[in-house]
Amino acid sequence: MKDKLLLLLALVLGLCSCQRGESEYDETPQGNLDALWTIIDQRYCFLDYKEAELGISWNDIHAKYSARLNPKMTRAQLFEVLCQMLGELKDGHVNLSSSMDLGRNWSWKEDYPLNLDEELRDAYLQTDYNLASGLKYRILPDNIAYVVYESFQNGIGEGNLDDMFYSLRMCNGMILDIRGNGGGNLDNETKLASRFTNEKVLVGYRSHKTGTGRNDFSALEPEYITPSKGVRWQKPCVVLANRSCYSAANTFVRDMKEMPLVTIMGDQTGGGSGLPFSSELPIGWSVRFSASPSFDAKKQQIEFGIAPDIPCSLDAGKAAQGIDSMIEEAREFIGGQTS
Amino acid sequence: MIKRILLLTHLCLFALTAAAQDYSALVSGKEKKGTDVSLSRPLQAGVLFGVGYSNQLDTYLSPMEYSGYQLSFLTSRERFTKWGDDNVSFQSLVQGAYSHTKNPARTATAWGGRLAYDAGWHYHWRLTDRLSLKAGGLLGADLGFLYNPRNSNNPAQGRFGIDISASAGGCYRFNIRKLPVRLNYQADLPLMGCMFSPQFGQSYYDISEGSRDHNVCFSHPGNALSFRHLLTLDLEFSRASLRFGYMGDVRQSHVNGIRMHDVGHSFMIGYVRYLKILKRNER
Repeated sequence: MKDKLLLLLALVLGLCSCQRGESEYDETPQGNLDALWTIIDQRYCFLDYKEAELGISWNDIHAKYSARLNPKMTRAQLFEVLCQMLGELKDGHVNLSSSMDLGRNWSWKEDYPLNLDEELRDAYLQTDYNLASGLKYRILPDNIAYVVYESFQNGIGEGNLDDMFYSLRMCNGMILDIRGNGGGNLDNETKLASRFTNEKVLVGYRSHKTGTGRNDFSALEPEYITPSKGVRWQKPCVVLANRSCYSAANTFVRDMKEMPLVTIMGDQTGGGSGLPFSSELPIGWSVRFSASPSFDAKKQQIEFGIAPDIPCSLDAGKAAQGIDSMIEEAREFIGGQTS
Repeated sequence: MIKRILLLTHLCLFALTAAAQDYSALVSGKEKKGTDVSLSRPLQAGVLFGVGYSNQLDTYLSPMEYSGYQLSFLTSRERFTKWGDDNVSFQSLVQGAYSHTKNPARTATAWGGRLAYDAGWHYHWRLTDRLSLKAGGLLGADLGFLYNPRNSNNPAQGRFGIDISASAGGCYRFNIRKLPVRLNYQADLPLMGCMFSPQFGQSYYDISEGSRDHNVCFSHPGNALSFRHLLTLDLEFSRASLRFGYMGDVRQSHVNGIRMHDVGHSFMIGYVRYLKILKRNER
């Protein structure tokens, strides 16, 4: 009997030890760099595209930055090296996050003119504008609706949109100013875009990674905007964009470009067409990266932004006189459409 | 596809529950003829609460193993049927767990939850007056999540699966002084089933928008080697037993390029009651 009980005990202990260990990297600077390099190598969705566009080699980058490591370097020094390595990707969705800093590359907006003067924009809105959740709006003197949406993080409900579009229904056209909108929730951009079409519209495609290989992607899946059941806009609309329009705002511009009465004006958007995922390093820092790419209706990359239909920029001289030349050009364009 | 699986799960669980209820009716029928077999086949209803260690990995969320504590419970109901010369028992188990774990650098926290239901039959061999062994099968459903609030568009992983398990165990009775004591052991090993998993880089946003990409996977010990085992010691008093136990629960999978494991070791305490099932007019 003792033998049987011992056998049972051995079985219990044996089963307890069947778990698998997964962590492959140590906490040394090299271990952290290897972990970060591998995460990007296996999971980042634009690696081939970035290598072609930026003339970089991710394999060479491993050697280049490994050479900058030493076992005695401080956490701050390691953070700096790893951020520089990620910066090679020039992707606003790629961040290294620690308790001391957020590693980032914002060249998509910092290397270009802002084309936005918020004080000037506020002057157009004045102080008695309507505020429907995240949407600020008023009617300009020439009977054109002026709507400002500063962030897709700001939630908007169907009721907000119904009330706003209904109250603006007598206007000749609309200027939808999303300059400086750095993105947010994709549901908000879809909800807003669905107010500008009476038919289901193909706006783009998306994909996702299916494995660790660089070309392991799913087939492109079409993305559609279906018309809202609420109040829909039936008049000319100008979307004002600049280089600070990123991520969900970039997707919004992509969608609006396919809408029948919509014209995109301003500067090229900042881009950011990869849906970001997160992972982490042995040292405990969080890393964010683009994981699922989206494309425009012609299956083209929009990671580096979308060109406007009609380019225009902020005239500094007119701005000094209290005139936003981009808003004025949009008013003129709508005036020409409706006359 | 998911709807069909849910429907199948519901039907299977309903069938198992109905089988247990039918059995109760059979016992009541015998009592009508004057044979009180319900006392010889009491319903053994146990409840255990546990605290223990949890180790979790889900490469969809992080390549790092998270570890911490877990709180768990396990309710069990077991009763001999009249099948197989009173050697077949029906058992149902409901297992729940909440885990709170941290990454190795202690800079991030994950919360997990799990609810599992298993039901099935065992055949018992009474080798001696003191020792009996059992073997059988269980049909189970498993629902759970792991939430890592630090992540962006992959903050959580949902888990759902159904499986058929092989189950085996034994029971050894002895006395400590005059107190009857029972040592029980049971191990359950899922043999086949199906489980939900997102694709390697597929977001839940994409899934909510209608994207489907091998999200229902066939699971077997080759890609999802999992098991649960429970060792308990019952101190049998007149109306109930005080139960102490250890539960080891290992859930693992490697599907769609995503590695997952959820390992829990819990020390448990609870009680077991032996209930007589009364027919309707005896209440």
